[in-house]
Amino acid sequence: MAIIELRDVSKLYGFGDATTVALDEVTLSIDEGEFVAVMGPSGCGKSTLMNMIGLLDRPTHGQFMLNDRPVERLRPARRAKIRRDTIGFVFQFFNLLPRLTVLENVALPLTYKGIAGRRRMKQALNMLEQVGLGGREFFYPRHLSGGQAQCVAIARALINDPKIIIADEPTGNLDSASSRLVMEMLSEIHKTGNTILFVTHNPELTRYATRVVYMHDGAVVQDEQTRLGEIADTARKVMYTIPVTTEEDDLAGVSSLMKALPSKDKERSQPKSTKKKPAKSKARRPRSKKA
Amino acid sequence: MSMMVRGNVRMALSSVRGSKWRSILTMTGVIVGIVAVVTVVGIGEGVKRQVSQQLSNFGNDLITVRPGKPAREMNISSASNTDAIFGMGSTVGLANNDVDIIQKSGEAKSVAPLGLVPGEVQVNDKVFVNTPVIATSPDLPAVLSHKVEFGDFWDDRNDDGNTYAAVIGKNVAANLFEENVPLGRTFNFRGQAFVVRGVLSDFANVPFSPTASFDNAIFIPYRTAASLTNNNASLYAILVKPVDAKDVEDGVAGITQHLRDAHGGQQDFAVLGPHETADSGNGVVKLLTTWIIAVAVIALIIGGVGIMNIMLLTVTERMHEIGVRKAIGATSRQILTQFITEAAVLSVLGGVVGIALSLIVDGLLYVYSDLKPVISWQAITIATGVSLATGIIFGTIPAVKAARKDPIEALRHE
Repeated sequence: MAIIELRDVSKLYGFGDATTVALDEVTLSIDEGEFVAVMGPSGCGKSTLMNMIGLLDRPTHGQFMLNDRPVERLRPARRAKIRRDTIGFVFQFFNLLPRLTVLENVALPLTYKGIAGRRRMKQALNMLEQVGLGGREFFYPRHLSGGQAQCVAIARALINDPKIIIADEPTGNLDSASSRLVMEMLSEIHKTGNTILFVTHNPELTRYATRVVYMHDGAVVQDEQTRLGEIADTARKVMYTIPVTTEEDDLAGVSSLMKALPSKDKERSQPKSTKKKPAKSKARRPRSKKA
Repeated sequence: MSMMVRGNVRMALSSVRGSKWRSILTMTGVIVGIVAVVTVVGIGEGVKRQVSQQLSNFGNDLITVRPGKPAREMNISSASNTDAIFGMGSTVGLANNDVDIIQKSGEAKSVAPLGLVPGEVQVNDKVFVNTPVIATSPDLPAVLSHKVEFGDFWDDRNDDGNTYAAVIGKNVAANLFEENVPLGRTFNFRGQAFVVRGVLSDFANVPFSPTASFDNAIFIPYRTAASLTNNNASLYAILVKPVDAKDVEDGVAGITQHLRDAHGGQQDFAVLGPHETADSGNGVVKLLTTWIIAVAVIALIIGGVGIMNIMLLTVTERMHEIGVRKAIGATSRQILTQFITEAAVLSVLGGVVGIALSLIVDGLLYVYSDLKPVISWQAITIATGVSLATGIIFGTIPAVKAARKDPIEALRHE
């Protein structure tokens, strides 16, 4: 059964001729227990999609069912409660509150749930031990390395035992060792049955995913199931297509992934120095496969 | 909920610690306001206590006759009816006649008029401008239950306005004559030589009360004063002890009746029992309190605006934090509570500092002045409540701003 179901969800910003389409009629269905990697160039709407699914944003058009219940029209207070109880956020820049200790940071969602102080701290301590930071509960975020900070952020995301974890480039600010640590941790969480969505630019990390969704210009352009431990096909193409970007492309802000992907915009994906890959699926056919 | 508040308070304290100077400067307005309120209320309370203390020293049967309408018919605004330049509307003084009327009415056991006689005092060619000369009668010590320490009052019985004798206050002895018992010494006043017949013992010092100056005053016979000034010196009060100390009300009524008959039915005077006297004495304190509380309110408003200003700044600075909190499940209401609590903590801290400072100020006043301020629990409670209210009222707008912020926009804020 799909835990997340988006039907023709669009998000527009601005008015009149300054309108920007952040999401363009995205239809996506994610089942419970999936580990979804979302890839795509900067500005393709990945983060907007994450915010939408995480109930931080509302769709301009379309329907969004979370746990089979429509949530796009809920009041802000109700959305906050769903966020608190069923969704855990992990951010690129950790977003720990600098004035709170590690322990207080982890316990914060419990505070908003109204759980008493001692129980809250006990639970948070327990969670910190699970992410391997048992001895550092009274450190402040500034005393932690990037990897440790992200582990604390994951502990905070997990404290309310949410069904869905949303990680927007969780490794974007980490070195490769810390990235691996963080991904292994998410992988462990996935094994306990959580649904995880994460955004990444690193094709290597699709190894951890069971499904990879590619986005371009606000639409899902490719959606493939992968086996755990293997790099997704499309992502692999990007990896081994060398040179990745030319200087011209770089100036124009075109990423290698954009070229590897089939595009709505045919002339833009015209190959220059890279081999043209035939599109696996037609552009703008974003309907997901049922697992 | 209560632990939410506790968590908020802890957060707020840590953010106050995080920006000490800013917090202290923000609190200044509230501190000033609270110091003003607590100190003034303390002083007012102290004066009230001193006045009633003194009145009970005078005895609970003291009746005061004053010129002008009864105090309860007067109010502050009536001052605006007075012509400041030509003095229209200013009250007519009581006359020596009135003293005689009261003496002959049979209502009074003893009668002492009080009238300020204009002029300067000369001792051995030295002029003393700041020594008030008060016209009175030998009944004064009896009326005030006070003692003449040395010597005695002049004999009143055959007074025809030619008795040039005086009784002086304690300080006058020291300052003008430079000795403790200057009996028999003379001074010049309005061209006449007066002989000092007695020295009064110390008066308790009560601020805003007429007796404050009695230690510095010279008392002369009122008939003499009248003849010296061609009957132009008016009396500002007549103090009366009624025949029956148990029934002061009766005495008040009797004196009122006699005086009104003599004044052609006009009630251009007031006869006050001891409690009314205390009330009208407190009037000055009340007026002062009103003004200073007005100043305190202005200070509190300025303090509140200062808090609002800083909270608006804080909210902008911590926009990202607000975004994070919302992302992990804080509702708008919880964000609202957090920032209102923070403003309230700031202003209550200001209130606490203000209360502490006013305790110090009151202590200094107690030691170094005649004011004996009384700090009451009520004043402290009110001060705390007022500062809490200031924080909540002025913290609401910034908190609403924080709570309404869209989580994504807030998260994007750095």
